[in-house]
Amino acid sequence: MNPMIDQPHQDQFSAPLAKNASPKMSARNVHVHYGMTHALNDVSLDIYEDEVTALIGPSGCGKSTFLRCFNRMNEMVENAATTGEVRIDDKNIYDSKTDVVALRASVGMVFQRPNPFPKSIYDNVAYGPRLHGTAETNSDLDEIVEASLERAGLWEEVKDRLSDLGTALSDGQQQRLCIARAIAVNPQIILMDEPCSALDPIATGKIEELIEELRSGFTIVIVTHSMQQAARVSQKTVFFNQGSLIEHGPTVEIFTKPKKERTKDYIMGRYG
Amino acid sequence: MTKPDMAGTTAASSARKHRHLKRRNLTNAALKFAGLSALMLAGAITLLLIGTIFWRAVPAFLQHQVKLDVDFAQAAFESDGAIGSRDTMIYANYGELIGKALEATFVQVADERDKQTLRAIVSPSARAELRDTLLANPEWIGTRQSVWLPVSSRVESFLHSSADGPNTRSLAPQLQQWLAALERSDATRRSFRLPFFKRGDSRRPQGAGILGALSGSVLTLMVTFALSFPIGLASAVYLEEFAPKSRWIDLLEVNINNLAAVPSILFGLLGLAVFINVFHLPRATPLVGGMTLALMTLPTIIIAARAAIAAVPNSLKDAALSLGASPVQAVFHHVVPQAIPGVMTGTILAMAQALGETAPLLMIGMLAFIVDVPGSVTDVATTLPAQIFLWAESPNKAFSQNAAAAITVLLLILFLLNSIAVYLRNRFERPI
Repeated sequence: MNPMIDQPHQDQFSAPLAKNASPKMSARNVHVHYGMTHALNDVSLDIYEDEVTALIGPSGCGKSTFLRCFNRMNEMVENAATTGEVRIDDKNIYDSKTDVVALRASVGMVFQRPNPFPKSIYDNVAYGPRLHGTAETNSDLDEIVEASLERAGLWEEVKDRLSDLGTALSDGQQQRLCIARAIAVNPQIILMDEPCSALDPIATGKIEELIEELRSGFTIVIVTHSMQQAARVSQKTVFFNQGSLIEHGPTVEIFTKPKKERTKDYIMGRYG
Repeated sequence: MTKPDMAGTTAASSARKHRHLKRRNLTNAALKFAGLSALMLAGAITLLLIGTIFWRAVPAFLQHQVKLDVDFAQAAFESDGAIGSRDTMIYANYGELIGKALEATFVQVADERDKQTLRAIVSPSARAELRDTLLANPEWIGTRQSVWLPVSSRVESFLHSSADGPNTRSLAPQLQQWLAALERSDATRRSFRLPFFKRGDSRRPQGAGILGALSGSVLTLMVTFALSFPIGLASAVYLEEFAPKSRWIDLLEVNINNLAAVPSILFGLLGLAVFINVFHLPRATPLVGGMTLALMTLPTIIIAARAAIAAVPNSLKDAALSLGASPVQAVFHHVVPQAIPGVMTGTILAMAQALGETAPLLMIGMLAFIVDVPGSVTDVATTLPAQIFLWAESPNKAFSQNAAAAITVLLLILFLLNSIAVYLRNRFERPI
C-alpha cells in the first residue's frame, strides 16, 4: 500500500481565500461503496463560497462519485452505500431528517452530456420553478426563465424561439440551456460533472467564460478531465487517485509546485 | 533454396489464394441466391393465399340485381281504413308486390306453376329491402316505381359461374330464358352488396352480414384495451422503475415472460372458471370476452412497455432528479411520456393479436349463431374470427364466400392496425 493514499487529511483542509469565511460545504471521512467496490476512500475536504473548485484525476478515481455526494445522486445507483459526514451550511445532508427534494433545490447539477428534456426551451427552464412552485404568476415564471437564460448567456440566441425543442439546439447551446435550467431553481451550489467533455473547443470556451461569470453568486464544483481547463477556471484544485484524495490546494500551487510525487506525475502527464 | 524455386512457391501460393477467393465468392453468391429465393417463395405463397381469399370474397361483396316496376297500390297498405300508416308499411305483403311486378314484366307467363318458378328469380331478402326502401320513401304509396332487387341465391350462383367461366350450375331452362330477356332489356346489374355491412348473421347466406360480428369484435377489443393498457403500463412502470431487486421480483418477471407463451385456450378456461363460474358475469358477452383477452394480452403489453421504458435514456431522469423532482415525478413527467409511443405500438400489436383470437372465446361461448347486432358489452355477441369459423364450416358455397369476405375485412383491419403501429414507431422514435 502506498502510505500517501491512506494519509488522513483532517489537519490540512484548504484555507479560504477570503479570511474568516467558514466553509460552504465540507466532507468528513466520506466512504462510498458500490456493492463490493470501494469507490471513495476516507475523503475529507472543505469547499468555500465564491470560488470554483476543480476535481481532477484519472478515470475511475472517484471524483464524480465525490461530486455526487453533495446532492445525494449516488443513492440512485443500485447497491450504493455512503458513510461519513457531508455538510452544507453546517447541516449534515446525510441526516435522516434531510429532505432530498429541498437539498437538490439548493444544489444544482450539470451533467457530462447535455440532457435537455425533449420539450420546448421555455418548458426546460420552467420545469424546476414549476416543480417547486416558486413562481406565483405566469409573468413571474416568464421573468425567471428570462433571467436564467440571460445568466447562462443564452437569452440573445433563443429569445425568439422559446417554443422550439430544447433538443434541437447545438450541443453547446444545449449545455448552456442545462445550466440555465439549474440556475432557474435558484441554487447556492452548482455541481458540474465534466460539462465540456462532449463539446467542441468554441462551445467549451463559452462554458468556461460562463463559469467565471457565475463564480460570484454560486459555489461551483467542477469535475474535469482536462488539466488545462482546471487551470483556467478554478481557484482551488483537488487531485484524486484510486478513490482517495491525494492533494488539494490553490490551483496555482497544485500546478506549479505540487507537494506529492503522484500529483506531479499526473500533471506532467505521466499517467491518467 | 534457389531463386526460381522461391518464385515457384510464390506463384503456387498466389494461385491457391486465387482459387480460395473464387470459392468464397461462389459461396457468397449461392447463399445470397438461397435467401432471395426463400423470400420470393414466401412472397408467392402469401400472394397466392391472399389472392385466393380475395377472389373467393368477390361474390359476397357483389350481388346481381334485377330492375322491377313495383306498383305500390294503396290497397296493399290499407288496414282499418287507414292508408300508409307505419304499421301498414311494416306488415304489408311485399312478397306479393314483388310477385305481381314479376308477372307484369312477363305477361306471357300464364301457368300457375310457371308463376311460382318466376318468383324464384328474386331473393327472399328482397322483401325486407323493399320494406326498408319504402319506409324511407313513404310518398311512393299509390305510385309505380322502378326498384333494383337482389336475385335469389340460385340465380346468383348461376350468373356468377356463367360470368366467370363455363356454365356448371343448372337452372331451370325457363328461368334462364327469363333472365336472358331481363339482360337484353338492361334490367340486370351487378352492384356492391351494402347489406353485408349492415346486417347480423342469418340462416340465409344472402341475408347474412358481418355487422354483428364486427360490433362484437369492436366492443370486445374496447374492453380488452380499457383493462390491459392501464394495467400493463402500470405494471411495466413499477417493474422497470420502482421494484426493489429481490428474488420475488425476479420470479415474477420470469412468470410474466412465460405467460406470454401460454396457449391462448388456457386463458379461455381461466375466463370460464373465474369470470363466468365464480363472478357469474353474463356468458358469451363482449365483457367476458374482453376480460379474457385482456388476460391474454397483458404479458405481451408488459414486455413491450418495459422495453419502451428501458429505452428512455437515464439522463432525462437524472436531470429531473437533480432539479429536485421526486423519483415518482421524474418517472411520470419524463420517462413515461417518452415511452408512450413504444407502449402504444406494443399495445396495438397485442390488440391485433386479440382481434384474431378464437380459441379463448370458444370457451366462454362466443362461438355462437347470433342474429342480433350487440349494442352494449353485456349483450351476447360473436366476433369476426368466430363468425368466419362458423361460416367456413357451412357446406353452403354462398356461406364460404361470406367467410372469405369476412376474412378480407379482418385482414384489412389487421393491416390498418399494424400500419398505425409502424407509423407511431417511426414518427416518435427520434434520437435524444
